[in-house]
Amino acid sequence: MRKALLILSFVFVILSIVFSILPFDTLALLPIGVALILIFITFKKSDTNQRKLVKWLFALTYICAIFVLGKTYLIKDEVEKDQQFEQQKIETKQEAKKELEDLEKDLEGLE
Amino acid sequence: MKKATFIIATLLIFCSFKADTKVVIPSGEKLVYAGSYNMSGLMTQLAQVTMSTETQNTSKNTYLHLNCELATFSKWDKFFKIRDIYEAYVNPTTLKPSLYKRSVDEGGYTKKEKYVFKGNSVTSTSKKRNNPETIRTFNIGASTLDVVSLLYKVRTIDFSKMKSGQTKSFTIVFDEKEIPVTLKYMGTESVSAGNLGQKECYKLSIGAKTNKLKGTDKNLIWLTADAKKVPALMKFSIPVGTGQLALTSATGI
Repeated sequence: MRKALLILSFVFVILSIVFSILPFDTLALLPIGVALILIFITFKKSDTNQRKLVKWLFALTYICAIFVLGKTYLIKDEVEKDQQFEQQKIETKQEAKKELEDLEKDLEGLE
Repeated sequence: MKKATFIIATLLIFCSFKADTKVVIPSGEKLVYAGSYNMSGLMTQLAQVTMSTETQNTSKNTYLHLNCELATFSKWDKFFKIRDIYEAYVNPTTLKPSLYKRSVDEGGYTKKEKYVFKGNSVTSTSKKRNNPETIRTFNIGASTLDVVSLLYKVRTIDFSKMKSGQTKSFTIVFDEKEIPVTLKYMGTESVSAGNLGQKECYKLSIGAKTNKLKGTDKNLIWLTADAKKVPALMKFSIPVGTGQLALTSATGI
């Protein structure tokens, strides 16, 4: 039982690290939460001399949680200046002006 | 993945009630929203939505250009980049559309649409990915609008005389067809409105006869209960999840 819990804890700690590094924002708190619960249960099921690895797993998960919360609250979300998108907007606007003038001609022809 | 399309469509569908034409949408207005999506129970900020207005002159007429852009935050760009533009060219006073354009680029999925309004008919031009361009002409009702102009039109309505639970029906054109939209006024609530601070807002619920919206009274919009009627918060429920657009900055109002 303890071994299975330890393996699961290990898996979720790995997932926590991966999710924390990738831009999953607060979504990373899900594996972190599960990892913490599993680590807590594993800790309770472990004898005093078996707790060293569990403590390390807890430390790693704790760092992940701090890292994710730090990213969430301290780093401002920004949209990258996209030259291609800006160019597309200019072109769309120019096209629209021409299309509106064509529409005006059509409507004038109908009258 | 059409989540972003659903989000934008939902955002744009929020609208209408009979317009008070005395209220004019100003040119040069810019509203910026933080778009969040509910991922496994957690609201995650995904994109920035910018709604702006600008005057567009041709040799004969003056139009109001209503522009709505959606762009993913840079941290998501490497995984799923979205750059969408929804825009309408409307009469500055009545907000009746002459031209509606939609350009979608969502993680490689591209779609371009153009609707030209000529009286009671619309000529639509649509192009998806590498498929050939399709052109259709279909008739619409006299009061049918596109989703962008409808979103702005809702802000010209006098809600102060409406009673909670009162509903109205409207029609919009989306995906080359007319869609009936029902709106329900749900009273007032205090909502955070970005740089405008905490604001008393009109709460509205939207229902549309489309599979793009889910649930009853789960698609909501809060408009500031003042002359500007700025959309402060929008919550949506679509087949692939729920999310919200929260106002972060309002300028030129």
